[in-house]
Amino acid sequence: MAHAAQVGLQDATSPIMEELIIFHDHALMIIFLICFLVLYALFLTLTTKLTNTSISDAQEMETVWTILPAIILVLIALPSLRILYMTDEVNDPSFTIKSIGHQWYWTYEYTDYGGLIFNSYMLPPLFLEPGDLRLLDVDNRVVLPVEAPVRMMITSQDVLHSWAVPTLGLKTDAIPGRLNQTTFTATRPGVYYGQCSEICGANHSFMPIVLELIPLKIFEMGPVFTL
Amino acid sequence: MAAAPEPGEPEERKSVKLLGFLDVENTPCARHSILYGSLGSAVAGFGHFLFTSRIRRSCDVGVGGFILVTLGCWFHCRYNYAKQRIQERIAREEIKKKILYEGTHLDPERKHNGSSSN
Repeated sequence: MAHAAQVGLQDATSPIMEELIIFHDHALMIIFLICFLVLYALFLTLTTKLTNTSISDAQEMETVWTILPAIILVLIALPSLRILYMTDEVNDPSFTIKSIGHQWYWTYEYTDYGGLIFNSYMLPPLFLEPGDLRLLDVDNRVVLPVEAPVRMMITSQDVLHSWAVPTLGLKTDAIPGRLNQTTFTATRPGVYYGQCSEICGANHSFMPIVLELIPLKIFEMGPVFTL
Repeated sequence: MAAAPEPGEPEERKSVKLLGFLDVENTPCARHSILYGSLGSAVAGFGHFLFTSRIRRSCDVGVGGFILVTLGCWFHCRYNYAKQRIQERIAREEIKKKILYEGTHLDPERKHNGSSSN
């Protein structure tokens, strides 16, 4: 989860998120250099003694400031498209879970093995145990295996919601009447938090998502099915 | 960015953010590129001034040199970093496979030794 006043991305828990962090660093370096250039140009503008107001021709400069931004955009677009297509790769998921958004909780269905269905409500502040996270912890977590490709089918029963877990690089809209799919492979065990990311009413901020990722060996023993 | 480091993990360095957003300490290759860019900028700018004695133009050359050298170092370092990550991933997978298959009929070393003795 994010720590207080965190601005940057959370550490990656999936290969896609690792790639997104790398791309983010790349884009940030380009942005830094552009900002540096613009600040320098501003400095020159503010400190020049030149007062020529009849400049009418600057072909070379106009060529440069047309071609250069195009090159910069290509440098940013190529890695971006690479990741975009990477997220759509079919990787033969071994496990499918349905996530249904409601106002204001999530329902999860584990239909691969029997018919386990449960709701996941945010823990109200009065019900928090010491060590629980306010506005983030839920009564029933989504328990999933590590290092196994998982398919999430996301939809909604009423209004728009969005199922997001930043550390996995996931954000998928839950749209009523539509089934959206996202896949991921977690690389390390732990408890990971997310929050609804599409405005959905009064308690939009109070329907978090909690994933508990456990080793595959332990997952196969069936702890998730003993609710 | 992350929680407090666990015992045995390397500590996250204190973040130094250029222009308020570029964390050069915790972004791989950033510090290396900025330092070499600064050196390139100083060399280019000062060298231009020595030859031409034009201050303003030398500053322009310095800034241009900074941008070009930083970008060049950045791409070079990131390319090597990506190659290193791929090699680490391959090594990790191979170690996992070796642990899983050693001594079994699926052991690739056994297959290789078998074919070379034939």
